[in-house]
Amino acid sequence: MAVRAQFENSNEVGVFSTLTNSYALVPVGSSENFYSIFEAELQDVIPICRATIAGTRIIGTLTTGNRKGLLVPTSTTDQELQHLRNTIPDEVKIQRIEERLSALGNVVCTNDHVALVHPDIERETEEIIADVLGVEVFRQTIADNVLVGSYMSLSNQGGVVHPKTSIQDQDELSSLLQVPLVAGSVNRGSSVVGAGMVVNDWMAVTGLDTTATELSVVESIFKLGENMGPSSINTTNKSTMVESFY
Amino acid sequence: MKTTWKEIAPVPNHQDFLDVVLSRTQRRLPTQIRSGFKISRIRGFYTRKVKFTQETFSEKLSAILEGFPRLQDIHPFHKDLLNTLYDADHFRIALGQLSTAKHLIETVSRDYVRLLKYAPSLYQCKQLKRAALGRMATICRRLKDPLVYLEQVRQHLGRLPSIDPNTRTLLICGYPNVGKSSFLRSVTRADVDVQPYAFTTKSLFVGHFDYKYLRFQAIDTPGILDHPLEEMNTIEMQSITAIAHLRSAILYFMDLSEQCGYTVSAQLQLFQSIKPLFANKLVFIVINKIDLCTPADLDSETKARLDAILTSGDVEMLQLSCTTTEGVSEVKNAACERLIADRVAQKLKAGTNSSGTVGGRLGDVLTRIHVAQPLGGIVRQPYIPDAVKNLPRTNKDDPSRPRLARDLEEENGGAGVYNVNLRSQYQLADDDWKEDRVPEVLNGKNVYDFIDPDIEAKLAALEAEEEKLEATGFYDSDEDVEDAHETDLRTKADLIRQKREEIRQEAKMRKSLKNRALIPRSKLPKKLSVMEDSLDKLGYDTTALVARARSKSRGRTLQREALDAGEDGDAMDIDTPLSAADALKAKSRSRARSQSNRREDGVKSVASRDKAEKLMKLGQQRMNRMARQGEADRHTTAALPKHLFSGKRGMGKTQRR
Repeated sequence: MAVRAQFENSNEVGVFSTLTNSYALVPVGSSENFYSIFEAELQDVIPICRATIAGTRIIGTLTTGNRKGLLVPTSTTDQELQHLRNTIPDEVKIQRIEERLSALGNVVCTNDHVALVHPDIERETEEIIADVLGVEVFRQTIADNVLVGSYMSLSNQGGVVHPKTSIQDQDELSSLLQVPLVAGSVNRGSSVVGAGMVVNDWMAVTGLDTTATELSVVESIFKLGENMGPSSINTTNKSTMVESFY
Repeated sequence: MKTTWKEIAPVPNHQDFLDVVLSRTQRRLPTQIRSGFKISRIRGFYTRKVKFTQETFSEKLSAILEGFPRLQDIHPFHKDLLNTLYDADHFRIALGQLSTAKHLIETVSRDYVRLLKYAPSLYQCKQLKRAALGRMATICRRLKDPLVYLEQVRQHLGRLPSIDPNTRTLLICGYPNVGKSSFLRSVTRADVDVQPYAFTTKSLFVGHFDYKYLRFQAIDTPGILDHPLEEMNTIEMQSITAIAHLRSAILYFMDLSEQCGYTVSAQLQLFQSIKPLFANKLVFIVINKIDLCTPADLDSETKARLDAILTSGDVEMLQLSCTTTEGVSEVKNAACERLIADRVAQKLKAGTNSSGTVGGRLGDVLTRIHVAQPLGGIVRQPYIPDAVKNLPRTNKDDPSRPRLARDLEEENGGAGVYNVNLRSQYQLADDDWKEDRVPEVLNGKNVYDFIDPDIEAKLAALEAEEEKLEATGFYDSDEDVEDAHETDLRTKADLIRQKREEIRQEAKMRKSLKNRALIPRSKLPKKLSVMEDSLDKLGYDTTALVARARSKSRGRTLQREALDAGEDGDAMDIDTPLSAADALKAKSRSRARSQSNRREDGVKSVASRDKAEKLMKLGQQRMNRMARQGEADRHTTAALPKHLFSGKRGMGKTQRR
């Protein structure tokens, strides 16, 4: 199920929230609208935590996580960390890491098995990511962009990368991650797919500007709809894609 | 591309137009003029009036001209539609008249400004201005008809539907009353009027619908009768324009039941007549009202004619009934599917160059269609909790759906008033702990540093390990090896730092003014010794340089030395005969000096001289003490002495009081 949402008039949902298979983080906003979009879809399956990181609401940019763990930057205060710890299930490890590239959501892109990280990330951070999130870590770039977390959106079932990624790069990344990948956009042509949407294995939230075609790509590659598979992008929906993008 | 012209500014009628322009001249320009003014001022006043009026006219007229679309700049479809609706010639002439009027007004203004230059009096100036404005008003009055016409065009243009000629389009056409509008109503949300008589639809109507995530526009056209193009009226010509120019799939509607009032053969005949317009387009024959009559019910002759059209292969037959909605979506889907396929094929062909490689933008699009599949190996298992699979689907409007935080917020005063309790979601061992207050700082220590119960034990363990490591020499590095080299480096670095600091201090000293005047460096006196020192320091030989400088410098005068030299001071002066040159010099010198000492002139005795001196000193005492201006100092008096130029003038003039 893919839904469109906006956080306080911004379409960059991925900047303002984090969604994994075992918890979701949404910012403490001025109204409950954004929270309720997650709540309506997730109900009581996984906890949705209203949080701030270092007093800011850009929690999607600052944190990264998967089913097994959550990483927060060093600027997180003790109270915020304790609030996260109290709300998120005990099986999920939470780790505050000292890393110069403190926007962890921008520099790390992960699912429950593999993580791609910024090439300049520190060695110790890389080890912590591997330990806390329980993943293999690879230093990569997406279409020559070092901010892998911003330009890629990943789940256990598939991934969307920057729309200008070459076919060769897509194939390489796909073999590395062992999930099908497609180059796509969200929010009416925005190339920052990681910042424009959040996704887990059964739902996705994209910006309100996302077109129907973009949403169909998202639903197909992440296998979110009924009988929607990645292959439908270049078979049944091929003509739609050509017609709407060209 | 522009498809609507809703924002054209209203066109006033000629009377309003004139009022606007003239009142603007009146409001914006000065109105007071007297015959006593200088004639150049009077001329300037009226010239300005004429020019300003002309400028306002030109501005308003060009605003109208700019607002309307230029027929040669818009899509052929819109051009032809405008031609059918408003008659392109009429439209062009109207705009042309406006443009001519503008030109004429400019000429009038130019002429009268020229005349005004030579007007001898206020009265004549005024008459010239009146004449100029009058002629402009006459020109404007002649625009009565074009202005009225353009206003009508504007109003109609604003209400035209927004038709994009290049997007995916289904075009519905056919005889009157065959059910074209009913079809549009059933596939889109367009609220088209459907009535059981011919020519219910008198203009183009547009509806939109989605198919396969794409937005389509369906265009309902007025019915066409089968007669030559020249005889067609405006209503029919709109249909023809749409059929001819829009890149679309054409649905030719037919009514086999002949309820519309036209025979099947007439309908087939019309299809043949307008067939030339279908070139390069997808054409479908849609049989409407199949609940009344299907193609199978036709008599053999008409059936044969229908089949003849279909057998050519590029025309497909579809059937539907708008009243029973049977086949409506099938017809829509079939038409859309064919249209998409056709457009995609064309695009792929256009994006592929002669050698068969795809480049440019199409290449980018194909990259986005490619789905990269992993090459075998591991299967990444998704993790979807079972709870998700049997989540009930909720409807937004269902009153019994689970209540969300948003509803709660709404009930408690709405956003900004309601404050959510973040602690309510805590998952703690005991629910009573949720609301427990934990101090942030206790006894001067951050509580969260001690949140782990064994933190101290862990710290002790770490410290023990550290000590052990230190003891075993884990941290002793092999720094001694490079010691000599390093100390050398360090001393050098220190020297450099020290020197740099010295230079900085010196510069600071040099720069600080300490109340002295700011003298340019080039003008400052430099001692020879300073140069000598610095050159010595740099290792240059300075002997030659110093010798040269010495030789050039003016020596101290030798007079006294000459006196002192030789004999002792007590010796008697001897008149030595002067040389001729020295004698001449002495003479000229004595003449350059004043012959008498004026300090002693005019005083009789030493006593009186002392007195005079004392008085002089007394007179200068105050001045000297205050270090004020003296009488010899240059002084500029005030150009406008305040006492002469301020206050009321009771009598006399400003300058003479």
